[in-house]
Amino acid sequence: MPGKRNVLKKGKGEIMKFSNLGKETPILDGLEKVTGRARYVPDLKMEGMLYGKVLRSPYPHARLLNIDTTRAARVSGVKDIITGKDVSQHRFGPMVPDWVILPDDKVRFHGDEVAAVAASSEEAAAEAVSLIEVEFEELPAVYDPALALEEGAPLLYEEKDNNIAVTFNVHSGDVDEALAGSDIIFEETYETNQVYQAHMEPMAAVAVPGDYERLIMWLSTQIPSMSRLRYAEALQMCAENIRIIKPHVGGGFGAKFECKSHILAAVLTRRTGLPVRMVNNREEDFRAGNPRVPMKIWVKLGLSRDGTFLAKDTRIIAGNGARTVYAPAITSTACYRIDSLYKFKNVRSTGYTVYTNTIPTSCFRGFGNAQMHFAMESALDTICHQYDMDPIKLRQHNGVTPGFTSIHGWEIKSCALKECLDKAVQESNWYEKKKAPEQKGPVKKGIGVAICNHVSGNRPFYKPFDGSSALVRLTPEGKAIVFTGEADIGQGMNTAFALIAAEAVGLDVKNVRTAAVDTDISPFGLGSFATRGSTIGGRAVYEAAINLKKQLLEHISRVYEKETDQITINNGYIYFDDQEEPVPVAEAMQTISYTLGGTSLVGQGVFVPDTVLPDENKYGNVSPAYPFGCHIAEVEVDTETGKTRLLNYWAVHDVGRVINKQTLEGQVEGGVIMGVGWALGEDMVVKEGVLLNPNFHDYFLPTAMDVPEGHIYSYFLESEDPNGPFGAKGIGEPSLNPVPAAIANAVFDAVGVRVKTLPITPEKILEGLEPG
Amino acid sequence: MSGNNNEQGGRLTINFKLNEKDYTLKIDPDERLLDLIRNRLGLIGAKEGCGMGECGACTVIMNGQAVNSCIIPAARADGAEILTVEGLSGGMENDLHPLQKMFLEKGAVQCGYCTPGMLLSAKAFLDQNRGREISREQIKEGISGNLCRCTGYQKIIEAIYCYAREAERIEERKG
Repeated sequence: MPGKRNVLKKGKGEIMKFSNLGKETPILDGLEKVTGRARYVPDLKMEGMLYGKVLRSPYPHARLLNIDTTRAARVSGVKDIITGKDVSQHRFGPMVPDWVILPDDKVRFHGDEVAAVAASSEEAAAEAVSLIEVEFEELPAVYDPALALEEGAPLLYEEKDNNIAVTFNVHSGDVDEALAGSDIIFEETYETNQVYQAHMEPMAAVAVPGDYERLIMWLSTQIPSMSRLRYAEALQMCAENIRIIKPHVGGGFGAKFECKSHILAAVLTRRTGLPVRMVNNREEDFRAGNPRVPMKIWVKLGLSRDGTFLAKDTRIIAGNGARTVYAPAITSTACYRIDSLYKFKNVRSTGYTVYTNTIPTSCFRGFGNAQMHFAMESALDTICHQYDMDPIKLRQHNGVTPGFTSIHGWEIKSCALKECLDKAVQESNWYEKKKAPEQKGPVKKGIGVAICNHVSGNRPFYKPFDGSSALVRLTPEGKAIVFTGEADIGQGMNTAFALIAAEAVGLDVKNVRTAAVDTDISPFGLGSFATRGSTIGGRAVYEAAINLKKQLLEHISRVYEKETDQITINNGYIYFDDQEEPVPVAEAMQTISYTLGGTSLVGQGVFVPDTVLPDENKYGNVSPAYPFGCHIAEVEVDTETGKTRLLNYWAVHDVGRVINKQTLEGQVEGGVIMGVGWALGEDMVVKEGVLLNPNFHDYFLPTAMDVPEGHIYSYFLESEDPNGPFGAKGIGEPSLNPVPAAIANAVFDAVGVRVKTLPITPEKILEGLEPG
Repeated sequence: MSGNNNEQGGRLTINFKLNEKDYTLKIDPDERLLDLIRNRLGLIGAKEGCGMGECGACTVIMNGQAVNSCIIPAARADGAEILTVEGLSGGMENDLHPLQKMFLEKGAVQCGYCTPGMLLSAKAFLDQNRGREISREQIKEGISGNLCRCTGYQKIIEAIYCYAREAERIEERKG
């Protein structure tokens, strides 16, 4: 029982503004994680469960002449084998209908699904897969998106005239005229490579036959509700007949969207009537996951002598891989999202998303904006160097400000970009370090800056709508459960939702939890992408909590015979103006519930952002809120070995409002190290269409040894967005967007070598250091 | 090796102690320690992240050493003493090991998939360095075999560091 007076005062908001927000709250599902009790999809087991395994193509492009499963079928324990001949050949897909369940004509990449087996043990399934005999006829293939664009290149889809999956065009203002009137014209080409999300839990599904001929799927996914729609399309079922449950998910970072092996597990379950578990092994996850869209980015910028941005012209060739996941949306994002970071007046961009006989590419933290940030923020650094401009002032001069509407109609309601730059400069001692004298010895220090923007929800991502809804149920025991369709994949969103609900109702967060997503119970939620969870999902939770609080106040008023304006609820206690002693919410709820047939109170909330689908000129506000940030990296480059080491990192973000400081820092530190990995070494090495490093031995990933010797410092500025819950905006992707450029700029500052293709390897630095 | 009996069909009988409990099990010669722990004993804390000893998600402590159970034959467990994450704390009553508590308190856990392995690598490392002052740089090395893609490691390092400092103080008080 808390000290009455003290808490009463808090309840009136005299001491603290928030009871739950802005603190370092450990994640609420941490206990099961540290004890190893948390169950992920690969941990699920059911009586009679079969193990699924996929046969993948050993060729990048080949016709399927014949598949013989006779020997495979004889393996003891094998229950079912499917090939393209056993499944419908209708096409579907997240953006472009170029998917089939299994092909019956040809395979298009090394790793493409050819057949699937269900057996009573993993060993039997693997043995059967090895005994499937396939007659392939190899076809000419193309691996480089630029070559795939050329006339006469082998076609991936013969019914198409070329290998372009989608072309994106935007032109606002008059770029040619603006370039003609520019004092400074800068032109350069940058390349960003293909990298792997490396979620620690591989892609996984358990499909189970349900009652009423329904299908139950336990998925490791970041889009439970949306994948249900897509899988319904694939399986030609009514979406309502599919129930998707998302338990704990071991990371996603953009990879865990629609996944072929989920669909194959479902098909095998429907055919056998038995549960089927399908878990990618790590090599499969590399070979047939959804890695980052590689891009070649040509940039032309026009500036006036005082550094004002006059024109931006870009052309992007992006690798789609062999079928379309979300690469076209990622290319369009690269083409134009950064146009709302700066006050551009004339912009033009063309992006080609091109088929090649390589792994299908898709979302990866940053969603194309990260690729363009590398190009743009590197370009600005070079311009500053060439024309002796201050990279901080140049960005402050051109950066967007609160109340600004960008060239594409994006409404910047809250924005602390300028303050982010100020804070980063101050904390990193930027100007002191820039003034540092010439360094002796082979190891040189350098410091680099890059800024970023992003969205918190992206209206065109899912054409039918954007928005979210939530339920908050207050039980007779005074416990609140948040039901949302938005998917926590390890970021701590479920804790953020609980904090938002606790704050809005006045509960103690210890008595609030967020339920696992189950499409039979949870509202529809588009899922974890576009940095939308906290803002759009969180706002829906906030609305549901406010709705619940209204009901709760009315019932307290009825049961305790007090006017609602005499009641305050805070931190799990109900205070009456004329009464010293507060009443615990749990006690009141029991009383309320007994007068209402034992009911729980259920608050429902809906948030529909005031956004629009962009028009034919790509004009229209796409997101309810835009987060901003400024990163400064301090590195050390060894001119003898070419090795770069991160010394310190300052990340300042305008997050609107801090919901949970601890998980925010976690997102930033994770995003920064992921960006450092990409900048300094991560690379999927593909030769003739074959991935040469499909494992953690050969694929470089940052370990604890890559954490800076100094520190990753994170700071949060609260610009209080009018749309976000309590003003909150997103953080997931902005934490990574500026990292590769900040590092590239720091490397340049250290040794004067400008690396324009990721990753920044020792070889490239040494090559740049060579005289002449 | 104690009591390593070859049977017909190539099965072996092994004896080991896991989380303080004695086991005698018949195993296949090609069975991996990870499969024994997960599939036979039903302990799901150790995860398979890569299957080739590179990510550390399957880490358990065997005879005081952190090992990747995905590349260790189960036969090697014969006569061994093994600790899995399930043995770090008690049942559902939440009597957590102080290292687990520190991981929670410091925000060292996000998706949680690497957490059991990370905890055990940290524990083995700290146990081996008991009585010595540990730096953050040494901790980094100590957990460099465990991949985490969520946290960027900083909070994990901090949690281990804080625990080590606290443990040191307790030792001092005792001494």
